[in-house]
Amino acid sequence: MNLSPLHLCLLFSSALFCIGLIGALCRSNTILVLLGVELMLNAANLNFIAFWRFGPAPSAETGVIFVLFSIAVAAAEAAVGLALVISIYRHQQNIRLQEANRLKG
Amino acid sequence: MTPDYPALLHALLPEASLVLGALILLGLDLVPGRGRTDAKRMRTSATLGLVALAAAVYHSIDAGRGGVAFAGVLILDSLALGTRVGVLGLAALTLLLMPGGSRIRNPAEYVAVVLFATAGFTLMAVAQQLLLAYLALELASLSLYVLAGFDKTRPESAEAALKYFLLGGISAAFLLFGFSLLYGLTGSIAFPDIARHLGGHEPNPLLIVALVMVLVAFGFKAAAAPFHLWAPDVYQGAPTASAALIASASKLAGFTLFVRLLWSGLAPAAGSAASMEGAPGWLPVVAIIAAVSLLLGNLGALAQSNVRRLLAYSAIAHAGALLLGVMAAGSAGPAPLFYYAATYGLATVGAFGVISVVERAGPCQQITDLAGLHRRSPLLAGCLLVFMLSLAGIPPLAGFFGKFAVFAAALKIGGLAGPIGWLAVLAIFLSAVALYYYLIVLKQALVAAPADGAPHIAVPLTSAAALAIAAALLLVLGVFPSLVLRIVQ
Repeated sequence: MNLSPLHLCLLFSSALFCIGLIGALCRSNTILVLLGVELMLNAANLNFIAFWRFGPAPSAETGVIFVLFSIAVAAAEAAVGLALVISIYRHQQNIRLQEANRLKG
Repeated sequence: MTPDYPALLHALLPEASLVLGALILLGLDLVPGRGRTDAKRMRTSATLGLVALAAAVYHSIDAGRGGVAFAGVLILDSLALGTRVGVLGLAALTLLLMPGGSRIRNPAEYVAVVLFATAGFTLMAVAQQLLLAYLALELASLSLYVLAGFDKTRPESAEAALKYFLLGGISAAFLLFGFSLLYGLTGSIAFPDIARHLGGHEPNPLLIVALVMVLVAFGFKAAAAPFHLWAPDVYQGAPTASAALIASASKLAGFTLFVRLLWSGLAPAAGSAASMEGAPGWLPVVAIIAAVSLLLGNLGALAQSNVRRLLAYSAIAHAGALLLGVMAAGSAGPAPLFYYAATYGLATVGAFGVISVVERAGPCQQITDLAGLHRRSPLLAGCLLVFMLSLAGIPPLAGFFGKFAVFAAALKIGGLAGPIGWLAVLAIFLSAVALYYYLIVLKQALVAAPADGAPHIAVPLTSAAALAIAAALLLVLGVFPSLVLRIVQ
């Protein structure tokens, strides 16, 4: 099978997305879940770069600019996420998701 | 091509006034506000926040319906204008209800984050491009996560915020991945260009993946089943004012963005759900999500003993009806959807407002905590009656006409020949189920005797004003729906 660089990039980013999703869904440590989410976001960023680099119109910088913005958003998201991890740690002295189960019904 | 910066500034003055207001508010609280009591700081912050919201409303109306602005990034049409004003109004009601509600520490920061979230909502209303849509959605979502976890004294608040954040973060990743595929398929991120590139092509597998990812992400944001798991926990654990904002303004802005993305960006991939055979596309998927949401929301609400969780399940059911409005927007325009979302938001803000005032006298979690409200505070009981009946869809309140407009638009598409028509019939039947659980709440509030020693509730003036405004608007808009429908046509 003859794969173009674009296909390879897409395969790689899809794999990264799946790894991130599995990590986000299966881990019980909140920080590792956050890590999984970041992996998923970076898979999408990789897509943007690949489509920009190998796409039909590489002159327009749309893909790169989109990635710059999305990296900034991911940083903000990590900041909010870590703040929330700290706030849950203050209440239950650990960051295991299984123990955050006061709300149910 | 030189961008037209003055026009951009004119179009974005509402957001600018919100952000400036938030910064001034933080600065004022930092220096002169030090050493004041919490109640005083709360009053100053809420007043300043309301001034910023009023300025934003003025500038939104001033920006008008100028059409496309800044090379197609923004669109200022009647839907954008209506959503901006609606979102700002709902945020203003939330702020009005805050000083009379449960105590919030650091009120200035709270109001500032509310203003940031509102800036995200108004940007969602005007976005006509994937990048701006993503940024607006994330600005709103990140602010809402913070608002949900704002009460640092209660572990429930932290847990609600964490759950909301983790699921919201995963959905944001889905959304970004879907957007990246759309960009790759069409080489553009502007909605009209995407529609032009998609037109005339057979739907290929990559497009289907992109569509599914975008729909999953919006399902999360709108709390539609089967992606609704966060909603009951967040409504229960978050501070009441935050829950009101999450349930009302964020819904309205989210559905406006959703309908714009689907119908002006992805319309060629809509497929069809008007007849039983159907054609592949996003319409059948949205139809399935709507059906599951209607069933799960209405049946789940029956089992609830906690009034906030009940409101959350009713929100899931309403999300199903709103998705019906999204599907009907292709032929009937967005007016029924907008009317439904705006009046639903009003009723929900009101219901949470009543809860927040009841909370001053004691906890208000279980439905039985509302027992004997008609003796403890007739005003609150009367307002709750209006809000609940509007949510249930009883004429002449606005909720009835919203349901009527959406279901009529859905039935007009293909009658009972296809899934959309049957979905509308299902929604009408489930409205009867919904009436039952709203009446359970009203029975506690209006018929049951108060618990022993339950104190009389003094309603603060601002809260009374906000509740009266919301109830009056529901009544007026229910009797004269054309006031709203004419603006958004």
